[in-house]
Amino acid sequence: MKKRRKFLSTIAPYGYVMPISLILLTFVVGSVVISLIFSFTKYNLLLDPEFIQFDNYKRMLTDPKMHLAVINTLKVMVLVVPLQVVLSVLFSVLVASRKHTLIGKIAKAAIFIPVISSNAVVGTVWKTMLNARIPVLSDLLDLFGIDTAMLLGSSTTAIVTVSMIMVWKSFGYYMVLNLATLLSIPDSYYEAAKVDGGGTLQRFRYITLPLMKPAIIMDVFLSVVSSLQSFELIYTMTGGGPANSTMTMVFYAYNLTFKTGKAGYAMAVSNVLFLLVLAVMVLQKGFMKREASEI
Amino acid sequence: MKKKLVSVLLCTAMVTGLLAGCGGGSDDKGGSSDGGKETITMWCPPLDDNMLENWEPLLEDFKEENNCEIDIQIQPWENYEEKWSTGAASGELPDIGYMYAEMFPTYIDSGAVADMSEYITDEDREEYLYLDHGYMMDGQYGFPIVTGVPFVLYYNEDILNSLGEQPPETWEDFARICEKATQDTDGDGKVDQYGYAVGFNNGSMNMLYLLNAYFYSLLWQAGTDIYNDDYKTVKFNDEAGVEAAEFFYSLKDYMPENMMSLAAEDAFSTIFGQGKAAFGVTRSSAIQETLFAESYPDLNWNYVTSLKNKDYGTFGATDCLTLSSQAENPELCMKLIKYITGSEFMTEYHKIASGAPLTKSEQYQGDPKMERIVTEDRDKYRPLQVGPCGSDILQNLASELQGMMEGSKSPQEAMDDAAQYANQALDEYWADKE
Repeated sequence: MKKRRKFLSTIAPYGYVMPISLILLTFVVGSVVISLIFSFTKYNLLLDPEFIQFDNYKRMLTDPKMHLAVINTLKVMVLVVPLQVVLSVLFSVLVASRKHTLIGKIAKAAIFIPVISSNAVVGTVWKTMLNARIPVLSDLLDLFGIDTAMLLGSSTTAIVTVSMIMVWKSFGYYMVLNLATLLSIPDSYYEAAKVDGGGTLQRFRYITLPLMKPAIIMDVFLSVVSSLQSFELIYTMTGGGPANSTMTMVFYAYNLTFKTGKAGYAMAVSNVLFLLVLAVMVLQKGFMKREASEI
Repeated sequence: MKKKLVSVLLCTAMVTGLLAGCGGGSDDKGGSSDGGKETITMWCPPLDDNMLENWEPLLEDFKEENNCEIDIQIQPWENYEEKWSTGAASGELPDIGYMYAEMFPTYIDSGAVADMSEYITDEDREEYLYLDHGYMMDGQYGFPIVTGVPFVLYYNEDILNSLGEQPPETWEDFARICEKATQDTDGDGKVDQYGYAVGFNNGSMNMLYLLNAYFYSLLWQAGTDIYNDDYKTVKFNDEAGVEAAEFFYSLKDYMPENMMSLAAEDAFSTIFGQGKAAFGVTRSSAIQETLFAESYPDLNWNYVTSLKNKDYGTFGATDCLTLSSQAENPELCMKLIKYITGSEFMTEYHKIASGAPLTKSEQYQGDPKMERIVTEDRDKYRPLQVGPCGSDILQNLASELQGMMEGSKSPQEAMDDAAQYANQALDEYWADKE
């Protein structure tokens, strides 16, 4: 009886983690391995893959569309990440300072609504709003000399527009992450600072920001990863256009697989993206470790 | 202790469920028997709002007569190609499938679809009006099911009358009317009536729609095409092709200023449909009169099937049914294909969902106004040339044209760059074949 009990208690933990481990192995690790293998082949999903060594990777070096996709992906990252993080920090501080008021609660809910909306819906609604020249929106943007009609129609502005909509869509998520950290900062710190004559800005600079640092690092890395993988809003709003100006790496890989039948090459593109994301994750881990040791 | 045991058992059950879910089921594949009955699987996009319910009663006789079941799986238009790609990758293709021109080359090349030539009789050739549209890459790989609904040039009769113009016949007529129609009608200093309602940003919709609606027609009217006869190079950047591109670009001043951010169908519905443009292009329908009366009750419209420059020409898709080369009973599948596309089935179906007759025996049932498309104008539209790397080449051509319309490339540069990309893809394709 004792032996049986011991045996069960030994294997039980493995049983608990087995389902998720199998799911991860099959759908995450498995797909990475498959993608790696197929990236060395010429494969169109129909015919048997043909091994072509590093040709797909070599091709990337001379493929102008790949270069454009990388540049566009980086542009999205540069446009989205700083703005998203700054906005999420500012709004989380604002909402936290009014957490017990009705306006604070309404603001929190309102900012979070886009996060739970589907990308397809958000993309379609924004596209319609920008094209329909809704007076309020077009008049507002007119003040800054921006013609709403051309925001999605010009290679220069389309990527900026889509990026700004990505920020609008997601910064509420980061705001909620930040709020959790903000609300865990003891009020006594602020009270002590007040007693010492610290003003609002000083309290923000010397208490809030340092204690929010781990959350901000997390925001930055999550935002980098999600901007590297941007796809749905672009798919809905511009289809990668005009003239491929919003074609990101994920979008390019999607087109290669499903529109042009170059799945092997698409997997090579995806692997490069995977390496980028992996590098970001490793960096994040390093930063978080350092941060934890500092704290 | 009991709790642990239960937990372990639950976990085991979950794992078993997961593995069972991941396991391939041979029962999913077509050709399985259902109480001795053969099952034919078919993939189709929705051809009307209620296709399964509409087809079910029409297929009863066939099922009874041939002691079989028909499993029709409707796949949404948006992801139709993806469904085929993933189905092909997992070896789960249907016995019969619906395909449009751009899809064919890959599946013909891979041998996934069968040449139906041996099943076509002389009677079929006599009876079916568009059978030749399904002949491609040296074989009868398609059996036309939807055709005769080309993209046509609609015009606003009120605007043309106010300008004292007749419906255009040539490029010159068209450009002249577009120029005259582009006006600030309310005097606020902004143009509010356009010559040509074009939207050149299709977002999630297929980019090829842009070519379908606006460019193939010009290419054919200019007297050229996509591929050269040997399909080893393209010819759309020849003199005629560049002339077509230049003509399209020259019309930009008469298009809505936000044409680069509008989808083609939105441009039609929100600009032409609202009476704010002299011309608009969209796919025709045999019941267009009825549909437009509901959507645009105040619009006084008519249409020109095709303009003429050197030749007539507009894009009329011919979507086909295909036979899988893996079909277990190709004879029965062919029988079903002919049954569905035959006069009896289509006469009934077209009463519910409009469409052009596919056979000589089927009577036209659409609106009288649209009838000339399938009678006197039948030679003015054509399907797309089906050739290697089709989707790749045409997607890129559409992107290059976007660059041209945006002003970042000249028509010559756009066509040359698109041709260079296409020829490189074709070189690789033919090198592989050798």
